[in-house]
Amino acid sequence: MTDSKKLFRRYRLPLGAAAAVVLAATAFGGASSSAAPKVAVTCSSPSGASGPGTGATTIGFIYVGSKTDFGYNEAAHAGAVALGKACPNIKILEADSIPETSDMTTAAEQMIGQGAKIIFSTSYGYKDYAVSLAKEHSDVAVLQQGNFITPPVPPNANTYFGNVYETVYLAGIAAGKATKTGKLGFVAAFPIPQTLLNINAFELGAQSVNPKVKTYTVFTGSWCDPGKQADAASSLLSEGADVLTQHQDCTGTVIKAAEAKGAFSVGYHYDAQSLAPKGWLTGSDWNWGPLYESMVSTILNGKFTGSVFNTNYSLGFSSKTIPSPMDLAPYGPSVKAGTKALIATAKKKILAGWSPFTGPIVDQSGKIEVAKGKAATAAQLAGMGYLVKGVVGSIPK
Amino acid sequence: MSVLITIVAGAVAGGTSILYAALGETISERAGVINVGTEGTMLVGALAGFAAVVEVGNPWIAIPAGAAAGAALAAVFAFVVIYRKASQLATGLVVMFLALGITSLYGASYVSADVHGFTTWKIPVLGALPFFGRVFFEHDPLVYISYFVVPAVWWLLFRSRWGLLIRTAGERPEALRAYGVSPSLVRLVAVTLGGALAGIGGAQLSTALALSWSEGMTAGRGFVAVALVIFGGWRPLRVMGGAYLFGAAITIGSVLQVHGVQVNQFVLDAFPYVLTLVVLVALMRREGQQAPEALGQSL
Amino acid sequence: MTGFAASVAPAVRSRLTVPAARHLAARTLFWGGMYLSALVIFGAFTALRGADPFAMYHAMWQSTVLNAYGRGQVLDKAAPFILCGLAVAIPARAGLVNIGGEGQIVIGVTAAGGVALALGTHVTGTPALILMGLGAMAAGALWAAIATVLRLVGNVNEAIATLLLNYVGADVLNYLVYGPWRDPAGNGQPAAKPLPEGDSLPKLGSYAHIGIVAALVAAVVVAFALKRTSWGFMLRCVGGNQTAARRAGLKVAWLMMSAMLVGGALAGLAGMIQFTGLEGQLRPGIAATFGYTGFLASWLARHQPGKVVLAAGLLAGIAVAGDSLQITSHLPGSTVNILMALILLAMLATRSRSKAAA
Repeated sequence: MTDSKKLFRRYRLPLGAAAAVVLAATAFGGASSSAAPKVAVTCSSPSGASGPGTGATTIGFIYVGSKTDFGYNEAAHAGAVALGKACPNIKILEADSIPETSDMTTAAEQMIGQGAKIIFSTSYGYKDYAVSLAKEHSDVAVLQQGNFITPPVPPNANTYFGNVYETVYLAGIAAGKATKTGKLGFVAAFPIPQTLLNINAFELGAQSVNPKVKTYTVFTGSWCDPGKQADAASSLLSEGADVLTQHQDCTGTVIKAAEAKGAFSVGYHYDAQSLAPKGWLTGSDWNWGPLYESMVSTILNGKFTGSVFNTNYSLGFSSKTIPSPMDLAPYGPSVKAGTKALIATAKKKILAGWSPFTGPIVDQSGKIEVAKGKAATAAQLAGMGYLVKGVVGSIPK
Repeated sequence: MSVLITIVAGAVAGGTSILYAALGETISERAGVINVGTEGTMLVGALAGFAAVVEVGNPWIAIPAGAAAGAALAAVFAFVVIYRKASQLATGLVVMFLALGITSLYGASYVSADVHGFTTWKIPVLGALPFFGRVFFEHDPLVYISYFVVPAVWWLLFRSRWGLLIRTAGERPEALRAYGVSPSLVRLVAVTLGGALAGIGGAQLSTALALSWSEGMTAGRGFVAVALVIFGGWRPLRVMGGAYLFGAAITIGSVLQVHGVQVNQFVLDAFPYVLTLVVLVALMRREGQQAPEALGQSL
Repeated sequence: MTGFAASVAPAVRSRLTVPAARHLAARTLFWGGMYLSALVIFGAFTALRGADPFAMYHAMWQSTVLNAYGRGQVLDKAAPFILCGLAVAIPARAGLVNIGGEGQIVIGVTAAGGVALALGTHVTGTPALILMGLGAMAAGALWAAIATVLRLVGNVNEAIATLLLNYVGADVLNYLVYGPWRDPAGNGQPAAKPLPEGDSLPKLGSYAHIGIVAALVAAVVVAFALKRTSWGFMLRCVGGNQTAARRAGLKVAWLMMSAMLVGGALAGLAGMIQFTGLEGQLRPGIAATFGYTGFLASWLARHQPGKVVLAAGLLAGIAVAGDSLQITSHLPGSTVNILMALILLAMLATRSRSKAAA
């Protein structure tokens, strides 16, 4: 067993490195390639390791939507597949289309009943159930994707996410430079903090290169209702928006609608350039594998409790150890060299530790939300409840 | 004015899939069968139409594919309720769940597919008309076809021999038997035909309006179609009005948001349903219900 | 056939004679065959997807019947399904179609949550649970009353009105948790303040809550009320022949209203049970599809309270087994819908032929 595992690990490393190089090269069109950090993977607990999740040979993944949704859930599923490839000795259990209700607990309990000692709870709205689950099963590590656990965080739980807003900010730059009408369109679902963060980051990125640009926002009230998406896209396009982006679980409709009207699109969740060969600018693309592998390794080594992961963990471009779980998708043909250079410069700033939410950040009513020179805290970002100046749209109060 | 055009044009675009389904349901209910499985027949039509266009590469294949899938599922429903005398409402709901399961299983590989679906055809001359051009004559071909399907269904129901049989099956099925016609067979044909239209409605949604397939993408439109048949008093032209009114109520939501009007999103979301209810009350108070006499009854 | 004759016929039919016994044996065989074929079709279906049907059925059985946690889950799911089924069965006696369990349970959840927020920590424990239950029942009844008023005054078909109100009900909950009721200490999440620790529904053993007891009691009471009280008799008269009932001096409108009010109240109670038993916090999407499942349970059971319990239990079992379908057999989550639909179609298609309406 151990021999075959060693074999696998040796076999895997060059492949992983090659993949990282290819990724870096495609992500920046070959323009800039920072050496992506590599993750060393442990697939079984060394003897003597103790703590939540140690000795796990079964890991459970729970998704809110279909794991073939070409969006958020498929990205998480791809991370699970990557983990399974890296550690063939580990059995992966999956349950998809589990609503953000006590059904999540039912699915997780069944997985634990089948021996799972690590549970990936991959939807924002699972958080409270995940925390209860962690309290109920102190020997199981419960990893919550997205959201924020008000400290104290249980010793066997965490939240983790990428600094999505960094990538969305960079994509906003591409949109701000591409628009001719000065109007960007954003098709959103519900006004949860994560979505508001994305809308704001997009507008701020666009503003950084085009101060007068506005982002028009439509909330559809559904994570995936293509008919409503088509309607929202057409309303935005009629109003003169010439770049569309979105925060939806299924993403094809808005991109196709923009392409049909000769507008640009900025993708989300998945590289969908094939749907919009002409108007595609760039997008935000998930790559969960390395972070999943890294967290599982830490757990199996018995070092999870008290580690960097055992908190509300978020990582972005500036991470030196694990590649950011979200990065820019390849550029479309219409993105000019000057725009790419602007984005590269902004990315360098972020790599050096600068936050796109560095004040002054002013909301729609003119209120200062983040003071000049200060960066928004993790809690401020996780609990975002406002839209920045320049966004057209309203959120329930 | 431009806002009004956006709303009404959006109403036609968004209402068309519901219109097809509601016309199909009108035929079915005129024959005495309520099919709340319309949500399911739309869904299989949406997937079949989409998959066919992806595989064949020609958008027109969506019409026969969507119609065939919708008709097939409706025929299963019809068999169980007509020949096994099962409850129409319960069977309809079961058929919806069946469609949800099947389409999710077989649709998974089409979620990321690129489709060369229907594109917008601006009709020459008519499309240049002020207001009406943009509202009615700048859509996909399935919208234009629906303009002909509405009078065709009216003609079928009220001017043809088949229509007489269908309506009699819904009013006095025993009278048909006296004439030597099997009311069961008439109902089976009517429900299947209705399913075909609902399937085309689903295909319009996936291959013309949204240009994508995703699980459960009809999102309640089939249920709305059933409500609109009653709203429309079992008459095709009024069903058309109902479908567009519902489409308009959805579009108003996004148009208001785009214009930065401060309205709560959930109030906008509830608006189409509340509006349908209010109009329903206004219509019914004036005219009363005129449901087919034997609607919902087994033979 | 009038309501009276319909209610007498089964009693006559059930008197056993030799040919009847043979008939019964043949019918049992036929039914068994239909259910078996549903299982075989689904097994073949999943085998085509690369799953092992025997391992799959074994895992489903294991996760729902042989395992204590699974049994608890089935009971917890069955409780609201039963109540939502009764919410359909009672109006059905009066000839009314209530597709609105979906909205009534959501409004019940919302009201229970609202009462919890209002009480805070001033009233806790059993008194708080009772107040939440009353609030939820009142709210569910009110939601059903809207559709009934539209029917009685506006002549609007109650099936359609209750169906449309389902969507509105979901928006009411969304409106509140995204807006005025959002927990200020919740990092902007769309959720209200959690229910205080001591206000959850008491447990029944280690895995289920007492909701199932409440549901069974409700089923017994409803069965009694429908069969043995004059109210139940009058409802049947209204459902059988409205004109005759009116001529006989019955207050038809009030009877219809009372049936819908009781139905709505039971669906509301289901919401309170789901909220205090499992959820503990108002969030969007709580109890979604429970109303439709209850609707199916009632129609499968032909609106007989005892059979509603069985049908709801079966549906709860399938729902819980659905998870094991994914976890063990690696099938997508919605596959369970196919299994459920096949079994239900077999049930619907094999029942004795009768002139059932709608």
